[in-house]
Amino acid sequence: MRRLITALSILLSLAACSRVDGNLPGIAGLPPIEPDYTGVTVPPVIAPLDFVYLGDEPCRVFANGEKVHSRNGAVLFRRSQWKRLLASGSITVSVQVKRDGQWMSFDPFCIYVSEDEIDPYVSYRLIPPGYQGWQQMGIYQRDLTSYRQSAIMENTLTGGNCMNCHTPSWGDPSKFVFHVRAAFGGTILANGDILEKLNTKTDSTISALVYPAWHPKEDMVAFSVNKTLQVFHAGGPNRIEVYDEASDVVVYDTGRHEVLWSPLTKSAEYFETFPYFSPDGKWLYFCSAEAVSPMPDQYNHAKYAIKRIAFDAATRTFGDALETVFDAPAMGKSASFPRVSPDGKYLCFTLHEYGNFSIWHQDADLWLLDLATGKAAPMDAVNSDSVDSFHTWSSNSRWMVFSSRRDDGLYTKLYFSHIDENGNATKPFLLPQRNPVEYYKKLMFSYNLPQFMTGEVDLNKRRLLNVIRNSGGTDIKPAE
Amino acid sequence: MITGLPYILAYREQQQLFLFDKAYIAGVLFKVGGLSTLIGRFIVQFFWNPALACVLVSILLAASAFITWLAFRRSASDWGLLPLCLVPALLMGACITDGALHFDAVVSWMLCLGALAWYIKLESGRAWRAVVITVFLYFAAGPAAIVFAVTAFLDDCLKGRFSSASSIPVAFACAFAAYAFAWVPTLNTALTPALFYDLDAPMPFVHWAPWIAIPAVALISGLFRLLSPRKGLCLAIACASLIAFLPVSKRIAGKYCTDYTSALYQFEHFTVNEDWDGLIKCCKKAEWRPLTANYLNMALSYKGKLCEDLFKYDQRGPISLVIAHKERSIDVTQAHTMFAMGNIAAAQDVAFNILQSLNGFCPAMLKMNAVIEILRGSYGVADKYLTLLEKAPHYRAWARQQRHFLWNDEAVEDDSFLGPKRKSFPDSGFAMYGDPMTELYRILESNPSDKRAMDYALSFLMLAKDMNSVCQIVNRFYGSPALQSLPDNVQEAVLFQSEYLRNVGNLYYFDEEWCLSHGVTHETIRRFEDFKQASMQNGGKAPGRFRGSFWYYLTAVQI
Repeated sequence: MRRLITALSILLSLAACSRVDGNLPGIAGLPPIEPDYTGVTVPPVIAPLDFVYLGDEPCRVFANGEKVHSRNGAVLFRRSQWKRLLASGSITVSVQVKRDGQWMSFDPFCIYVSEDEIDPYVSYRLIPPGYQGWQQMGIYQRDLTSYRQSAIMENTLTGGNCMNCHTPSWGDPSKFVFHVRAAFGGTILANGDILEKLNTKTDSTISALVYPAWHPKEDMVAFSVNKTLQVFHAGGPNRIEVYDEASDVVVYDTGRHEVLWSPLTKSAEYFETFPYFSPDGKWLYFCSAEAVSPMPDQYNHAKYAIKRIAFDAATRTFGDALETVFDAPAMGKSASFPRVSPDGKYLCFTLHEYGNFSIWHQDADLWLLDLATGKAAPMDAVNSDSVDSFHTWSSNSRWMVFSSRRDDGLYTKLYFSHIDENGNATKPFLLPQRNPVEYYKKLMFSYNLPQFMTGEVDLNKRRLLNVIRNSGGTDIKPAE
Repeated sequence: MITGLPYILAYREQQQLFLFDKAYIAGVLFKVGGLSTLIGRFIVQFFWNPALACVLVSILLAASAFITWLAFRRSASDWGLLPLCLVPALLMGACITDGALHFDAVVSWMLCLGALAWYIKLESGRAWRAVVITVFLYFAAGPAAIVFAVTAFLDDCLKGRFSSASSIPVAFACAFAAYAFAWVPTLNTALTPALFYDLDAPMPFVHWAPWIAIPAVALISGLFRLLSPRKGLCLAIACASLIAFLPVSKRIAGKYCTDYTSALYQFEHFTVNEDWDGLIKCCKKAEWRPLTANYLNMALSYKGKLCEDLFKYDQRGPISLVIAHKERSIDVTQAHTMFAMGNIAAAQDVAFNILQSLNGFCPAMLKMNAVIEILRGSYGVADKYLTLLEKAPHYRAWARQQRHFLWNDEAVEDDSFLGPKRKSFPDSGFAMYGDPMTELYRILESNPSDKRAMDYALSFLMLAKDMNSVCQIVNRFYGSPALQSLPDNVQEAVLFQSEYLRNVGNLYYFDEEWCLSHGVTHETIRRFEDFKQASMQNGGKAPGRFRGSFWYYLTAVQI
């Protein structure tokens, strides 16, 4: 029934969108606007999708027949007006311009409003898209219902060091990990009242803990451990190559401060990385490639498949066999970032030619694998000619946020797409901003590692800062 | 030291980019000490001209001395106090030779002095005004508010009143609030001028001096008032203080402004202004160091005289041309050198790191990144950088000129500077991964017409005394657009190798016929005969008259 209503409302919206204001001469085609919000699907509550008309003529804009405030081509919805428009189920936008003294109308376009709610917050890191220098970076959260962004932690408070991999537990803002590097190095773990710093290098693992993924039910976090290096391409479409010389996957038990692993997730013959638990916690997915060397000479021969291994959190034991979930190397490709939807139906991943650090690969695209049938296909509705990479699911499995370099090829931005029960994705929309063209043009940071959250991280910043700066950290150890 | 000071100030301009932009201004302003930062950056944008920088700083310091005098004078004609009031300004002038101390410190310190001058002359409402000034000053100028509160209280005490007593706890309360709400990283930055020092770097104690000097002047002035000594004695004490602090200031400045650091700042100034003659002149005067030689050779390269004039200057191996860092650094010299060599990806790697590693955006590196994005055809990114540069008055015209190239491949390829550089991106390989010569070979294979890369490659090999590779390059590229003729030094290297191979019995490679058909002239052959005879008579070393030739470098310089 719900699907029927949705289909009917989309059909009605399409009919509405095809109408042109009969009183004005028409201009064939959609108006040139930025960001391209034509035909996108948005959640029922979202910040206004302000946009800019890129033509030089005076313009006026109507949404569902209501005039929208515009100034020098910037179309700025009032909050109350936008709320009303969202409530109507679909928004038909008509852009009219004055040419040779006469008002003319472009073909109207629609913004479809889904009934599926989106998690209200997204966390991410803002970092210069390069290389190794940063005076300023930080981990931020954004209220998706407004334009409000606040810092969870900024490195201007911690000596300008690197901080990364902020990962909440299945969207829970009170339970997360992230790493800080350099002088105050360690892994910060928050879990309700617990806030601690961990020293995560052990004698048995090749590095400190790196890419995290929480267990859905227990206080455990899967991590990769990686010997990661980076080189700069002398030419060609990709600028940077981030590669592993070795990597393994382990599980960290937060209560006992212990790491555990299976010989199948920690072998010298394979590079294992990017772990992710299934929503029932019984499977641990990760990427695995036959080890190649020497690196970086062999950088384009590392091809990662997606594999999984059974995991029992109660007994802290792994299964005794690996299953290949997606054999990317058989296609001559490499897969990264497996992310299972919380309803357990789909696995979204990034596919690219080689290696694992797809954010620097212009060919990287998102693929969706139906876990029931094992069939995988590219997500054509969301992919672009440039990098489409790191992605996470909303807690109801109906929305996906991912980072893309489609706009200028370098500065990553966040896009959101609706995924229906059948795995169909809609045209993605850019994270809304007040006056978005000006905002994004002046922004000298990339959005990195977006994660949906069901609420705001509400942690005393001084307490967090004191833990980062003053705590010596708790050593973790291998499980006996 | 004195000649270096203007360039130290000028380099400050290269560590920030003040933008006439609402979002930028709001971003800077709404922080502890934000107003000081904003005003500081506004002033420093004019430091692109070293002379102007000196004038502005002199005016500011003179004004601060005058404000100090206005604050603490006993009467309108109390000129005897003025030499004493020059002491804090003198100390601040010395401290700002330390590049890690942000110019915000000067502004904050001046706001504190201004607030004192205003408060001390107030007749009524002193108590509540002191509190309001303290709160405002804390958020506008950071820990300057504490100096204000302490000095105001001291001055009040010496005048027998205590109206500003409450401002001291208020100042500390502001500092603790800033700490508690994590507006500042540490208590140290909340309470002390360390707020204006590089992130988490320990601030040397000398930088406290201009701040301590403010209450010190208040105390001395107050004592003069209380004890009422003769005017002459006051003047003598004030002058003696000033004279005593002259060597102290000189010592502070001397610590940060050594001959070598001054020279580096000068090199950078001439480089960002593309004044190659000025750079050559400056390098000739400076002490020889690898970086000095890097700048000199880059200037020669831009003048098109690298190969020709290489050995007219002191060279000490390939390090004279480029320092191959094992670790990526934020070394502007390296970015400039790599860019000159045509190693664009390496230049961008370094330039982007520098851009993001300083307190603001380094304008020269932002320009370089914009140009490189144009070369890459990443016009959206270039547009972003040009948009920023257009918001800075000094760079606006340049940025607008570059807009012509955006989304216009034809214009880029037709441009005499950009066109050849665009062709120099190799198809494969990593930048700054192997030695510089490997990367130069790759660039030459991608773009054999890159004259500057060719000059760098030949110079590198000659400096490494690798004559065989010089011959290989000549064999491969002679006659190509980048190597239409052989510079004298290269001819000398080729002839030497030819002679060496003949002596070891290998008659098949690079013989005289090959030399003559690859750009070696009869004149060079004649000079070579002369060199051989002369060096034989000189114990195997080239005599002084061959100074400036490759042969002299080969035989007389140890690398």
